[in-house]
Order: sequence, then C-alpha cells, then structure tokens
Amino acid sequence: MQDLDFDVLLSRVTKPARYTDGEWNALHKDAARVRARFALISPDTYEVGMSHLGLHILYHVLNSHPDYLAERAFAPWPDMEQQLRSRGLPLMSLESRTPLRDFDALGITLPYELTYTNILNILDLAGVPISPADRGPDDPLIIGGGPGAVNPEPMAEFFDAILVGEGEEAILEIADAVAAGDREETLARLGEIEGLYVPSHYEGRFEGPGPRGGVAPRSGAPTAIKRRFVSDLDAAPFPTNQIVPFLDAVHSRVTLEIMRGCTRGCRFCQAGATYRPRRERTLDTLLRQAEEAVAATGYDEISLLAFTSVDYSHIDELVASLVARFADRGIGVAMPSLRADAFSVSLADKIQQVRKTGLTFAPEAGTQRLREVIHKQLREDDLFAAAEAAFSAGWTRLKLFFMIGPPTETDDDVAAIADLVRRLVAFARGSLGPRRGRFQLSVSIASFVPKPHTPFQWTPQASTEALEHKLHLLHQEIRGRAIKLSWTDSGVSALEAAVSRGDRRVGRAIEAAWSMGAKFDSWGEHFDFERWRRAFAQVDLDLCDYANAALEFTEALPWDHISCGIEKSALRREAERAFTRQEA
Amino acid sequence: MAQLVCRYRKGEQVKWISHLDLKRTLERALRRADMPLALTQGHNPHPKISYGPPLPLGATGDAELLTVHLAQPVNPSEFRERVNEKLPRGIELTEAWTLPTYKKKETFGEIDVAEYRVRVTGDVEPEDLQRRARELLDRAELTVHRGGRRPERVVNLRPHIISLSLARSEREEVELHMRLRTGSHGGARPQEIVALLGLEGDRRIVYYHRTGLYAGAETPTPHSRGVWHRWSRSRSHKERG
Repeated sequence: MQDLDFDVLLSRVTKPARYTDGEWNALHKDAARVRARFALISPDTYEVGMSHLGLHILYHVLNSHPDYLAERAFAPWPDMEQQLRSRGLPLMSLESRTPLRDFDALGITLPYELTYTNILNILDLAGVPISPADRGPDDPLIIGGGPGAVNPEPMAEFFDAILVGEGEEAILEIADAVAAGDREETLARLGEIEGLYVPSHYEGRFEGPGPRGGVAPRSGAPTAIKRRFVSDLDAAPFPTNQIVPFLDAVHSRVTLEIMRGCTRGCRFCQAGATYRPRRERTLDTLLRQAEEAVAATGYDEISLLAFTSVDYSHIDELVASLVARFADRGIGVAMPSLRADAFSVSLADKIQQVRKTGLTFAPEAGTQRLREVIHKQLREDDLFAAAEAAFSAGWTRLKLFFMIGPPTETDDDVAAIADLVRRLVAFARGSLGPRRGRFQLSVSIASFVPKPHTPFQWTPQASTEALEHKLHLLHQEIRGRAIKLSWTDSGVSALEAAVSRGDRRVGRAIEAAWSMGAKFDSWGEHFDFERWRRAFAQVDLDLCDYANAALEFTEALPWDHISCGIEKSALRREAERAFTRQEA
Repeated sequence: MAQLVCRYRKGEQVKWISHLDLKRTLERALRRADMPLALTQGHNPHPKISYGPPLPLGATGDAELLTVHLAQPVNPSEFRERVNEKLPRGIELTEAWTLPTYKKKETFGEIDVAEYRVRVTGDVEPEDLQRRARELLDRAELTVHRGGRRPERVVNLRPHIISLSLARSEREEVELHMRLRTGSHGGARPQEIVALLGLEGDRRIVYYHRTGLYAGAETPTPHSRGVWHRWSRSRSHKERG
C-alpha cells in the first residue's frame, strides 16, 4: 500500500498514531527470509492491546527466532473501519502494512468476552471467511489464545486452533507446525501439540437450554486438552526491550512480571484457578531485568506485575533494592495489586516516595459471612488498620472494590457495603484531622460473574433486575461529597456471564450480534444490551439460560474437556464448603 | 545546572503523533541516552524541558525547538549524537547549543512568526489558486470562526498573514509558501489558510511542512520587509537576562 494513500486515511481519523508503527523497539524483519509469518492481533484498540504483556512476550519470542516473523494489528476504531471499507481496503499489519490475509497465521488473543465481536469484525476486515469451513489453502490459519481460551466453545467455530494456557513455549511449536506448509498437514500437526485445541476435531453435545452438555472428540482426537504452563518462570523468555508506544497506552511503564499465579483461592476468581501453580522470578533476575528494561525503554515507572505482588517471597528486599537504584533517577515503582493490611501499606509507602498516587483495596463484600463464602481472606480490622497506616503515611485518597451478587448475598449484605463505606469515611475524618478536607474515596462496584473452572461455575448470576435493585440500594445509601461511586452496567455483566459460560451455540449469537452491528462492546458508548438479547433470540437462544442457570454438579459442562489443573471434583468440594459454612 | 537548546526535525514517519506524544517520546529518548536530566522538585518529579510552538497533527517540520535542563553540563555535539541514537526514526536533533548561564531560561515566548511550505496534490488549478491567493491578500479582513473552544470566536486572519505565494506549480501538484504570525498575541494556522483558499476536500492531499520559527517580526503588513531573526545560537547569546 502506498504511503500517499494511507496519509489520506490517517488525515481523516482520530488518533492516527494508532495505525502508524515506528515506535521504539518495534521490529521490521524481512518476510522473504523467514519460514512463517505471524500477525499478532489484539481485538481492542491499540492503546488497550499494547498494555497486555502477553503480546510483548509473543512478539519477542517469535521475532527472536531467525525463522519466524511477527507483526501487530489491532481493532480499528469505527472511523478507521469506515475509511477502509469505503475504499475497499483490507486491514493491514502495523509494521509493514501487509494485508492480514497475506500472513501464514493470525494469532488472535481472547482477552475478555466483550471483545469477541471485534474478532469477527477483524476477520471480516481482513477478508478472511469467519468460518474455517469456508477458508481455502491461501487463507491464514486463525489461532486463538489468552485468558478466554479456558472456555473456547463460544469462539470455537471461528478458529482453526486455540491454545489453552500460557504461550511463551507453545508458540514456537505452533510456528514450526505453521511453517510446515499446507493447511491440512498443519492442522494435523497442530492437533498433536499439547494444549492446542482444534475445534473441528470435536463436536458439541447439547442437553437442554443453557450450558448443559459437553464436547465430544471425533475419531482420534484427545479427550482432554491440558492447559500449558511454564514450569520455570525464572528461565522463561521475558522481553526487556518492550515496544514503547507513542500514544499513551493504558500502561505506559516497564512491566516487570515478578510472579505468576495466586494461591489465595478466592472462589469467584478465574485467573486464580487457571494460572496455577504460583511461580516466582528470582530477585537477581528481576533486578537485572529492571535495569535492562529501563535502559531499553526510557520509561519512568516500573510496575511489579502479579495478581498480588505483596505475596512475592522477597517483596521487601525487591522493593528496597529497586527504590535504592532508581529513585534518584526519577524512576518510580508501582504495585498494581495490594492486600488490605498494614504491611502492604508500609511497602507502598516505601515505593511511592517518588509518586504518591491513590491506594486500592478490594474487600469485595460488606460482611464477614459473605467474605467467607467467597473465600476472600480479609477481615475488617485489616482494612481499617490499612487505612490508618495509609493516612498516617500521607495518603488521602483510597479506592475500594466491591462485588455485588455473589452466591448467598442478601439485601443485608448489600446494605453492609454501604455501612462499611460510611464507617470508613467517619474513620478517615477522625484519623486525618486537619487534612480531612482532602479525603477522597472511590467505590467501584462490579457484579459477580460465574466463571468456568472456578468453584462457582455452577452458580447462577443474579438477574439484571436483581443486580439493578442492589445497585439502587447502594446509590441510596452511599452518598457524600468525598465519595465517588462507579459501577459496571448490569447488562454488560449479564453478557459477560452468558458468553463466559457459553457453548458453541453461543457463537451463533455472537455472530448474529456482530451482523447487527455489535463491536467494541466493552466500550460503554458502543454497548447495546437490547441488540444482544435480539441476537440470542434470532438463533433461538436465551441469554438468561446461560447467565442465570443454576447447574447441577453432575451435569456435563461445555468446558469439561479443557483441563486447567484442578479436578472438577475438587471444585465441587470447594463449592460445597462455601455453602455449608454459612449454614454452620 | 546547564541548559541545552536544540533544533530538531519531525519527519514523515512521526507526523501523526501529537505534540503531547512527541514530548513523551523525547523524554524517554533522553532517559535511554542516560542524560543527566534535571528534575522538578515535589511528589511527581519530571524532567524540565521547554518546547517551541507545537506543530499541527499531520505536519512535518525541520526547525522545531526545545530546551533541556541538565543536572551537569554535557558537550552539545556529544549530547546530540547520543540522543539521536536513541530517537525513533523521523525525529532527529539537528543542532544543539548551550544556553549562556546569564540566561535564566529559554521558553521561546518571543517566537512570533512561523514559515510553512504547503504541498497540495490532486485536483488543483494553479492559475485559479494564484488568483485566489491574490484576492485574499488584497482583502482588508479575513474573518474566520474558531470552534472547538467555547464560546466560538471570530478572528480576523488578515493581519496574521505576512506572506503567501505560489512557489511551484506542476500538473496536479502545487507548493505554497506562507509566513504566518504565531504565538500569544494571536496568529493564523496554515490549515486555516488552506481552507480559505478552498483546497480542502476529498480530491486532494495537503502536506504541511514548517521550515522556520522566527522572533522579532516588524509590522506585518502585506508589503513590509521585516527584519527576520531565525532562532539560532547567536540569538541565545543576545539580550542578557
């Protein structure tokens, strides 16, 4: 594509730098000298996609290999889509502006259920048939992966293969199969890679409305797909020369992955269940990677990535060393996830000598009873001790995460959230003294979403009406100048639940919604719940059958063939423990 | 403390990044080059860098200006070479000089004229354009509405046009040269002149390139021969204080 023509497009869209490449550390390899060309695609905007560490890791692993090449593409914003469609242009990669259709494989991540319509839109814009059956020998292989792969069924009928689990090791095995050449042979070889699910080798068995019924292998295919994971995180490839976006990405900083996995065992948390075991990088490795990454990127902040970074074994030493090395250069350290206790706050105090932003805690529920049901290991005393420590260390802004609608929740539990917030505000006023005027509390409310592979996978989500009722209660009870209340739309949560527990039939609803114009569903201005209801109805499904169904422990589930390392019987025991506790 | 003034180029590869993004990019390149940046005090320390007037999105320029505060002095040519190694393609420091110590700071507030080359390809009639340019210059007032900011303002652009000429014309491609007033006392944007000339629209592409930033323009009348000071090293040494 000529630069001249592309300038015309760029002059007519918002944030043209989303489409231009040329960032520091972006790579340009010669396509003629490699055996397999990959386009790595994130089905969201450039800024969101570039904030995902997985993309940087796979880009680095593939491009570090002499035989493979990887370029990037993202979902074009609707103004750019309109420019492409009106000129009959296909979606292209950033680096070499090669039409996506000309790559050997498209690696598309499944980051979140509400991006799935964007995936269909990207395939369509690339000129690749959305159904594998319609793809010819010249079409690229469409390979999925990422967090959503633990229940691949809703997207199974659009992908040639989906990798379940972590990709840094499997990607080279996949690339080798892709380089093999013809489509049929590659698919056969992909089916032999551990963790790789080839949906066409399986068929769905539907046993009633909603997520009831499993998936059966056709002849020769393995009965279970075992999730891939890296056993030695310290030795796993990690890019310190991460691409530095021109645009302000959601996370513009060095991402240092200190630990993967979490053993706290919150019963609603899918990531906690599917990224086990907990693995750590050594202190030496992390300090070396931090130095390299700062030198290679020029960022002024290092973020310690982990589900709960304070659980890292040497967190005290790591923080002390990083601050000692970087503080006088104006380079800050950040921890995205804090535990609500005084120890975490004292750590945060050490690292935030450079930049003192707000502190975030996640009590999730308002009563001790409900926190025990969901296995959130936090006591109110810890929260108040953490707040006290934060105020005396100089913070005046706090953010709290709560969840409405978890199993067994009553209106009293919801009211208890408001009560806890009120008591915290009163406590802050007393504790802050003359600084009380600066106190700000953000309260963020999410809805419980039952997720596959968690002990709550069988549990119904509360209806949208019930969720609205709970939100209404909170709106009435949580008021005040110092408080900012935000919440997730109940329709968004319902769709997330329906797709996350979806089977192959839900894929048809996703296709129907996309045909009706759904895209960028995770962007409030584009989300239309009524359209989704109509899309489900058009393919004779009901969204509520997936979101609100109470499933039996004995029923076959659409994701039973995906093995994430925890036996179904163990999940069941954990669920039973949750519900017996509250009766005791 | 030392301050370096740099002239830099913003080329085709990076013309679609905003001024804010460019600032971040330059700061990161300075850190990659391991320059001893002087930082602001306080809770959120950041490097002290002043920039000349920003380029419009989509425009290139080769006379852009910035001043960097350093904690220790660095030889200007070494500075330029080391930083250039760490800048993405399309951004390049072309000159660097040390600000004399008697100058407290250099924030380019005196810049009041910008010079542009505007290339238009596609559906253009050179003779038509020549006539329209002359008509514009002959008018006493050229009022335009500036939206975006509320309330909408009505601005007379005529006093801000110092010169406007058709420098080159070929089939389907013309080049305009314009000198426009800029800065805190008001000014004209090159896109506004292009719009007044009726060159917008789907059938042509407009390329904006800034070739110079100047200070000390004389009375800007259509026929004035002002004295122009290209922003330069010697200028930094003028006017103590």
